[in-house]
Amino acid sequence: MTRDVTAELLVLRKRAATWILLGTWTFLGVFFAYVVPYALDPDDAAGGIGRFLPEQFTANLLTGFPFFGGVFALMLGVLALGSEYGWDTLKTLFTQRPGRLRILGAKLIALGVVLVPFVLALFAAGAVASVVIAQIEDAPVHWPSAWLIVRSAAGGWLILAAWAALGVLLGVLTRGTSLAIGIGILYALVIEGLLSAFADSVGALEPLTNVFLRANGYSIAAALGASADTIGSNGPGSFEGPLVGAGQAVAVIAALLAAFAGVTAVALRRRDVT
Amino acid sequence: MTTITTPIDAPVAAPFVIETRGLTKRYGDEVVAVSDLALGVRRGEVYGFLGPNGAGKTTTLRMLLGLVRPSSGRVSVLGEAPGTPDGLARVGAMVETPAFYPYLSGRDNLRVLARHADVGDSRAEAVLDEVGLTARAGHRVRTYSLGMVQRLGVAAALLKDPELLILDEPTNGLDPAGMAEMRAFIRAQGRAGRTVVLSSHLMGEVEQVCDRVGVIRGGRLMAEGTVDELRGRAGLRVRADPLEEAVRVVSGRPGVGAVTVVGGALDVTVEPARAAEINRVLVEAGIAVCELHPQTASLEDVFLELTGGAR
Repeated sequence: MTRDVTAELLVLRKRAATWILLGTWTFLGVFFAYVVPYALDPDDAAGGIGRFLPEQFTANLLTGFPFFGGVFALMLGVLALGSEYGWDTLKTLFTQRPGRLRILGAKLIALGVVLVPFVLALFAAGAVASVVIAQIEDAPVHWPSAWLIVRSAAGGWLILAAWAALGVLLGVLTRGTSLAIGIGILYALVIEGLLSAFADSVGALEPLTNVFLRANGYSIAAALGASADTIGSNGPGSFEGPLVGAGQAVAVIAALLAAFAGVTAVALRRRDVT
Repeated sequence: MTTITTPIDAPVAAPFVIETRGLTKRYGDEVVAVSDLALGVRRGEVYGFLGPNGAGKTTTLRMLLGLVRPSSGRVSVLGEAPGTPDGLARVGAMVETPAFYPYLSGRDNLRVLARHADVGDSRAEAVLDEVGLTARAGHRVRTYSLGMVQRLGVAAALLKDPELLILDEPTNGLDPAGMAEMRAFIRAQGRAGRTVVLSSHLMGEVEQVCDRVGVIRGGRLMAEGTVDELRGRAGLRVRADPLEEAVRVVSGRPGVGAVTVVGGALDVTVEPARAAEINRVLVEAGIAVCELHPQTASLEDVFLELTGGAR
């Protein structure tokens, strides 16, 4: 299995789209978490000036993961398997030694590995941005604890991993990339977005929204320090609540990840490669 | 049509490298791509799988490789059910136009496949050298010509040093020199004891390269045998005078089969090597022999007859 994973890492590492997504995600993540709100009016920004300082950098960045980061991870997931249909490379892969499920497993593990730099790059860039703002504001530089940074990175990774797994599933179900990305974004914006917005006023929707990636992703972010104000003013990805407990959120996201991977495995195993 | 309902994953116990029984693939209720196919490929032979476009060749090959699940029937490839890791470890395949990651170099593509196939990365260099692609191995596949992609496909098929090579239209996109080279390569594989299944719609290719041939049309196997067997019995065409006397003299001789008069000449079913003997007998009987030459049907004639003129 190790060699299968190294093969898939080679495929992802040498693909320009991986680096373009990583660069764009890192740039826009800092841009929307620091540059735009700080440039507009730092004192009136949700969470106040403290949100931009190093002590809050993990919490500030995590608010971008459940929606904005999710869409990037979804695209990465779609590209990882949907492109195989476009290039017709599945037949080449599936006539090598390992079975279909082992190849899928290798692809999912490789995707998980590639998501680590997505988290770390944004954290590093966000940390730098927070220090710059601290210098500008002449504020002291205090960092969150190492344990909080590690837990935040793990939480962020889990949120991205679930979205990436959804992308893989959509790529396999639609046997391509364009439709899969379209459906994925539609789901993130319209299904989860609108239903979450109505959940406040329509009580019947709450049980449904409680299993959404958005609700559970933001609940993880909130448990790791993100303020409800920031989460509620997060543009098209904003979430008014209700939030669920951290343990429940982690369990639901992990279960969704496993479900997406499981359905993908069934579809990939049963379908003909024509 | 008889449908064998034995589980399709159960391998056929076979003296053959590849054996199928009642192999059928349907798409929906209307389309039957392959119907009740019974193939047998023996170890060490180059087997030609001949049929017009759309005859079901590629679907059959995909079923042999586990890419497509049969609707019914049984398949054994090297004694294993198709698509199992143990079977695939001993099979090299190139199905239709080879497909690779366009942004990776030829070398990196082979490294990816080598790691999945659990063979060393160094094997990639060896097969690149074998197909003459070493000089371009570091370039991205998207810059390759179709012929180079075909060569890379062959290299990928050889990565596992397989017992069985399955090649689907391997000369597609190759120039005449490349086609000749590919045929020489396939013959060399056969001489080296490797079993090769070559799918093609090119009669000349199959005639030159293959030990045995299966002809498929409309998803059904129309004929299977050696090239000579498919061509039918050889014979002689004789123009002689008087013709009726010639018929009497030749008929009934030992080893002579049917003697028919066709357009003022005799078609004699007999080994062409006996042409001198037939000539001598006729002359000794006082019959003037104007013309005598061996006559065999070309594989193309047989193919066109079996497939109703389709290519």
